[in-house]
Amino acid sequence: MYPAPAVKIFIIGAGQVGSTIVEALHREHNLTVIDLDAARLTPLAYRYDVATIEANGASRRALADAGVRDADLVIACTSRDEANLVAATFARIEAPRATTVIRTSNVEYIELWREGRLDVDFVVSSEIETAHAITRVIGVPAALQTDVFADGQVQMVEFEVTELSNPAVLGKSLRECDRIPRDSRVVSKIRGDAMTIPNGDTTIAAGDRLVVVGSPAAAQAWGELLAPGDGVVDDVVIFGGGQVGVAIARQLLEQHIRVRLIEPGRERARQIAEELPDARVYQATGLDPDFIERERIGQAQAAVFAMREDAKNHYAATLARVHGVAFTIAIIHDPIAREVYEHSGIDVTVNPRQVTAEEIVRFAHDPRTQQVAMIENDRFEVLDITTSPTSEYVGLSFRDMPIRGAVIGAIVRDGKAVFPHSDDVLQAGDRVIVFTESSRVADVERVL
Amino acid sequence: MPARSAVELRGACGLIGTLTKYLAVAPLFPAALALGYGEPPWPFLLAAVIVAIVGLALERLGRDARPIGFREGFLVVAMTWLAAATLGALPYLLSGDPQLDRPVDAYFEAMSGFTTTGASILTDIPAIDESMLMWRQFTQWLGGMGIIVLALAVLPRLRVGGRQLLESEMPGPEVDDLADRIRSTARRLWLLYVALTATLAAILTIFGLTGIDSRMTPFNAVAHAFSTMPTGGFSPEARSMEPFAAATQWVVILFMVLAGLSFTLLYRAFVRRRPRRLFRDEEARFYMVILIAVSALLTVELWREGILQGESAIRGSVFQVVSMTTTTGFANVDFVGWPALALMILVALMFVGGSAGSTGGSVKVVRHLVLAKVIRREMRQTVHPEAVMPIRLNGAVVDERTIRAVTTFVLLYIGIFAVGAALLALDAAFQGPRISTLDAIALSATTLGNIGPGLGVAGPMGSFSEFSDISTVLMTFLMWMGRLEVIPVLVLLTRGYWRA
Repeated sequence: MYPAPAVKIFIIGAGQVGSTIVEALHREHNLTVIDLDAARLTPLAYRYDVATIEANGASRRALADAGVRDADLVIACTSRDEANLVAATFARIEAPRATTVIRTSNVEYIELWREGRLDVDFVVSSEIETAHAITRVIGVPAALQTDVFADGQVQMVEFEVTELSNPAVLGKSLRECDRIPRDSRVVSKIRGDAMTIPNGDTTIAAGDRLVVVGSPAAAQAWGELLAPGDGVVDDVVIFGGGQVGVAIARQLLEQHIRVRLIEPGRERARQIAEELPDARVYQATGLDPDFIERERIGQAQAAVFAMREDAKNHYAATLARVHGVAFTIAIIHDPIAREVYEHSGIDVTVNPRQVTAEEIVRFAHDPRTQQVAMIENDRFEVLDITTSPTSEYVGLSFRDMPIRGAVIGAIVRDGKAVFPHSDDVLQAGDRVIVFTESSRVADVERVL
Repeated sequence: MPARSAVELRGACGLIGTLTKYLAVAPLFPAALALGYGEPPWPFLLAAVIVAIVGLALERLGRDARPIGFREGFLVVAMTWLAAATLGALPYLLSGDPQLDRPVDAYFEAMSGFTTTGASILTDIPAIDESMLMWRQFTQWLGGMGIIVLALAVLPRLRVGGRQLLESEMPGPEVDDLADRIRSTARRLWLLYVALTATLAAILTIFGLTGIDSRMTPFNAVAHAFSTMPTGGFSPEARSMEPFAAATQWVVILFMVLAGLSFTLLYRAFVRRRPRRLFRDEEARFYMVILIAVSALLTVELWREGILQGESAIRGSVFQVVSMTTTTGFANVDFVGWPALALMILVALMFVGGSAGSTGGSVKVVRHLVLAKVIRREMRQTVHPEAVMPIRLNGAVVDERTIRAVTTFVLLYIGIFAVGAALLALDAAFQGPRISTLDAIALSATTLGNIGPGLGVAGPMGSFSEFSDISTVLMTFLMWMGRLEVIPVLVLLTRGYWRA
């Protein structure tokens, strides 16, 4: 019977990434967390049912003593690239059959891994994942959160409904709306803490948050409906030229979006300007109103704040809003910053550690599960999973499918995305993009 | 005991001696030719002996000297070039020919040869012996790719690293390596240079033998190959390239264009078979654009003024434009009588120069390119003071130190040109000949840029013999400075160079 029950997972590093992974996986799996710092382990041990070991994860003996040879999955996610690499190498020696995942920000390691010369199974980079998250948001500016599946054919977008939303949807039930884009499905309505799986009678009201699964064009159309006038972004200002800032700039430039990057360090600014010929780089703090005015930063359609300090990001974002930047996205380092940011009107916040954790959690899922997105701080997940021939759902039309806290938003059949209507029938081997609560993930994986 | 200089003089003398000693081999080529033509070989042999003795003496002087380094490099390069010009002048003096028997004139002619300038004080070229004319061509060919580069390529290990010497001598802001050893780079550059020269000589000989160009004897073919590839400009013909057939002139145009391209680029294009490199290189593209655009402009002007018509207007324009831009200095028509606009165009081209790493002189295309980019950046930074904008060339970032060196060079070059022009005009006003302002400007530009012909009496079919000794010495100095790209020479004149 598939999937195998709980898998044994070793997590090396109990920082923010490690903790987020524990939070996401502790229900279904047996976790062992290793960290040098007891102060980080204690809260985890109190809150979750996990084993904690105070030891050096980059020591072969420590790993062996901790019992790594029984592990199915080893995740090395400390903030130090080299420690992660060494830990994964030792884990490979001690437990040759375990899947190894490392977190790194070093582009060279990632390239080496792509060439197949690094003996780890997966490499996850905070910077690149964060940049992905931000460029996706910029693609649909009205979105609270977006994620892509099936090579970009399917988008999952979370929108907030406001008073400014188009009256064609505001206050209407889904059945009444005739402006809903065809290739899309509303898979969830969240209001406050309550989530409902929508049906035809569900009404859309200001203050609701909708999770929509659809084609990229449909996602854009939804953006136009729910937040008219945000349009397409083609001019972005990035504050802070750290690794995250540069990764964001690089991805935006690849999409032919104009990028201005502001970095206070003289040497660093020069280095970025040399690395990214197409970006316009300014050596400035970004906290100086004269500069913001002189360079007409206010005319940019979006600004990303990727400086190292939350307080600076907050100040700069507020200043940019004062000068007229309509869409602000901020990186958060301390989780508490999210509330502060949102209170002061920053549109989107991205936590690099959370994004990284999300990426890593994918590897703990059923091997049929290709991708996971987390919504609302890990309360809900969207899975990309291939149906097994023995699933009781195979052969049923969507009209007859029982709803058990999960909704299929799209299916990928023969490599092409299909947005199912009630008469469509689920077939064995279809990849489905399914929305569910985090606590039901294991159930969903079992029945599909 | 006198205060010791910070420059290791004896060591430098030793290296200069070694280089000079080997240079003494060069006159053996015209000596052999003289025997063949039944002309007296002894001026060459005597010159070789004298230079060899002096070289050996200098080398002995530096026998136990401490090793020399970066600082001595400037002195070695500058002095070796003076020594080379001396070697070039000795056969002229020893031959006793009435046109060349004054030391100032002989030295001018020799410096003009080694620096590939091509300005001549001769008034009656046919009166000179064939072997002596070939020596004159040969000095250009030796100087073209650089005598130090030659020494690095063929001599057994010099006692110094070589890079610094090469950088002082190679035209352009930076040396582009072809191999990891400087010696192999030098050797490859010279081989390519020899191969191109041989190809041109062969083509021209075939033209002569097949009757396409009855005037192109094998002697003329070799002589003009020796002059074209180093962008020299001397010709054993009294009227430069004028008497030759149109086909010959077009072939020479092609090879002048090649000689004005970077040899490292040519090496990659032809030897490593990446010809597309030529079209992708920013400097090469800019160079070609200049050649084509200015040729078109000049064609229109000459045609409109009724000076030349049809194919000869195109050929006349392209030839002069290519000759001036690459700093060769050949002419296929006497442009002295051309209208003011045409002359202004030619004088302006004297400041363009070939590509960096070519055998051409003057400012070099790449420096114009970098300067244009610097100016564009300054304009943008006026509006966006905080913008950080690295300057790129072929996609690679040019570091700020190189940019500073380029701007300094161009300013110095223009300063020295202006002073030179003023002094020449002043001297001419006192001692004759009568020259116009534009003539004085052209004289200074043509010698500093190692081009060759000036305007007025010093036109392409004229001679520099009418100038006073003071002007001749000044122009000799300008050629020397121009060939070494000013800075290595000026450094020697600073106090900081000689002190610790």
